[in-house]
Amino acid sequence: MSAEILSKLVNLLSFVALGLTILLILRARLEGQVRAFALQSFVLAFLSVLIAIYTDSFQLFGVGVALVIVKVVVIPRVLNRAVAKIGISRVAAPYLGTAPALIVCVLLAIIAFYVMTPIASSNPLPTADAMPLAFAGVLIGFFIMVDRRRAVTQILGFLMLENGIFLLALLMTYGVPFIVEMGVFLDVLVAVLIMEVFVYHIKDNFDSIDVGELGKLKE
Amino acid sequence: MMLLSLLLIPLVAAAVISLTRRRAWMELLHTGAAIAVLGIGVAVAAEVLNGDILTVAADLLRVDSLSAFMVAMITFLSGVAALYAVGYIRAEFDDAHLPRARLFFSLFHLFIFTMLLAATTDNLGVMWVAIEATTLATVFLVNLRGSRTSLEAAYKYLILSSVGIALAFIGTALVYYAGAAKAGEIAVNWSALSAAAASLNPDVMRLAFVFIVIGYGTKAGLAPMHTWLPDAHSEAPAPISALMSGVLLNIGLYAVLRFKAVVDLNVGSQFSGGLLLGVGLLSLAVAAAFLVRPRNYKRMLAYSSIEHMGIICLGLGFGGYWGTFGALFHIFNHALSKSLLFIVSGNILWKYHSAEINDVRGVLHAAPWTGALFLAGTFALIGLPPFAPFVSEFIIFRAGLVTYPWIVATGVILLIVVFGGVLASVNRMLYGVPPAELPRGDGLRLWLAPLAMNLALLLALGLTFPPPLQAALERVLQVLGV
Repeated sequence: MSAEILSKLVNLLSFVALGLTILLILRARLEGQVRAFALQSFVLAFLSVLIAIYTDSFQLFGVGVALVIVKVVVIPRVLNRAVAKIGISRVAAPYLGTAPALIVCVLLAIIAFYVMTPIASSNPLPTADAMPLAFAGVLIGFFIMVDRRRAVTQILGFLMLENGIFLLALLMTYGVPFIVEMGVFLDVLVAVLIMEVFVYHIKDNFDSIDVGELGKLKE
Repeated sequence: MMLLSLLLIPLVAAAVISLTRRRAWMELLHTGAAIAVLGIGVAVAAEVLNGDILTVAADLLRVDSLSAFMVAMITFLSGVAALYAVGYIRAEFDDAHLPRARLFFSLFHLFIFTMLLAATTDNLGVMWVAIEATTLATVFLVNLRGSRTSLEAAYKYLILSSVGIALAFIGTALVYYAGAAKAGEIAVNWSALSAAAASLNPDVMRLAFVFIVIGYGTKAGLAPMHTWLPDAHSEAPAPISALMSGVLLNIGLYAVLRFKAVVDLNVGSQFSGGLLLGVGLLSLAVAAAFLVRPRNYKRMLAYSSIEHMGIICLGLGFGGYWGTFGALFHIFNHALSKSLLFIVSGNILWKYHSAEINDVRGVLHAAPWTGALFLAGTFALIGLPPFAPFVSEFIIFRAGLVTYPWIVATGVILLIVVFGGVLASVNRMLYGVPPAELPRGDGLRLWLAPLAMNLALLLALGLTFPPPLQAALERVLQVLGV
């Protein structure tokens, strides 16, 4: 595989990943949102394997496999279990409507290009061109977290943000070392499991998973 | 070997405690592990601060003098908090709530392990993993009481810290990239990075440092990323509040310090200094605004932590020998006084069953030892001589006086505001007539005894500065390149 083909494929797949983040805003049903996340994680795993083949890196291949296990299989299952248990699958309850939210996404993408393009252009790797796309994914994931009232959609926003950061590191330096990548996966997995427990706690205590209800601690 | 056991003991203790069924076993394992960690920690710190460097597995663990400084602080304060925790947990969770006690003791040691790993690893990626793990280890501790407010505090803490730390990962990845672009292979550890620092891409390093300050600054409780802190620190059980405020915040600062050392070698100290002065002054202002008239004494202590993190950032921002020296000294002094106060606040809460300042009257009458310790700790915290924080605050502001007179002036005015607010609140709590139905006497008096060490150190360091300690701090400054 030549550097040119790799570069094109990486650009295309990073764009797909960004599109899936934005899909989170368009999808009303939680199951659909979880699917969007799983699909995005699969795209990232595919990208890792692609780059692993290009660079002959066995470790990066391992990262791709671990990513499939953690983010395509385990975490979506955990989230689906939570969605089934709390019994509401509709309405993500955003603060902004769909149209304004999409405008915010566009603005965030512009900011991402503004910040990342100078750094990407000094980067000699064939994958670097797509760095602004990955960073846009980070910013939009962050926006989704802020914009959503439901605990489960906040978690999805966090996971998308996390995926964006993984992609950014992958494009910038072909990922961070294997041991660190595994540590990150472990942390994310534990964080999601803890968040799941909290979703149940919030549901039990407030009879709602609307985090807007959490407002007792004030000065 | 010594270094490895320092990390393994708390990890194994956490695992074994989670399997125990009897309180006696939990307490025995807990105390034993805490004392062992304290002993080994002091030994490690003493050896390194005398000029050695300990390593395990090449770049995985490496303790230089900056790490040793952190190890000394973590192990000492966790030892003090651990002893108090035995009595506190006995009083808080009776045998019907034994699973909660077990959860507490087990997570306590997991928490210590994650902090020690963050401070002793040479690999910046592993440090990131360890610091994220500190959040995961403490989130259930914040929610240990299981009330609505503690649930809210824990959820906020988990979400905001995770997002903050995720941003720190971008900074870490950017530094990886800068290192990789230079050396051809990825320079992943501090030693390699400092060696290559001068030739890294300065644009990448600047952007990376911004992400680092936002990301790890969230963990350090710096404004404007501080919003989780007052909730989490005030809802956690007292021994955990003491460690979160006294030690964990400093782990966030430690990460910023490590990156600052590399960035300064690369682009000069103006850039990082300016950024830290900004967040430092903002943190001071945010804390002062609340501390004019606090209503809840645990929140008061939490906001005071934001204030002191701000002061430390000012010291680092002023930079140079004295600014950095003062900042390091103040990190230590704040840790000592804040952990003391949070532990004593646990005693007040235990006695009055309320964290509202208005509900607490006449502590000095009702519980003389508790009251006296709280008063002495408050004097130290707000920077009254002869306690050590006075000296370190003086050094910090003296360091910035010539170059940044306006920042020093603003900082001192904010400190005076805090001084008045905190003193007035503590005054209302300690004096006056205690509620008539309140029984007299200190609760958990024996368990407060270890705090005498905090107080003795605060007093001793305020009066003298022994030459060996000076030599040790100078070694730390060498690591930081000043």
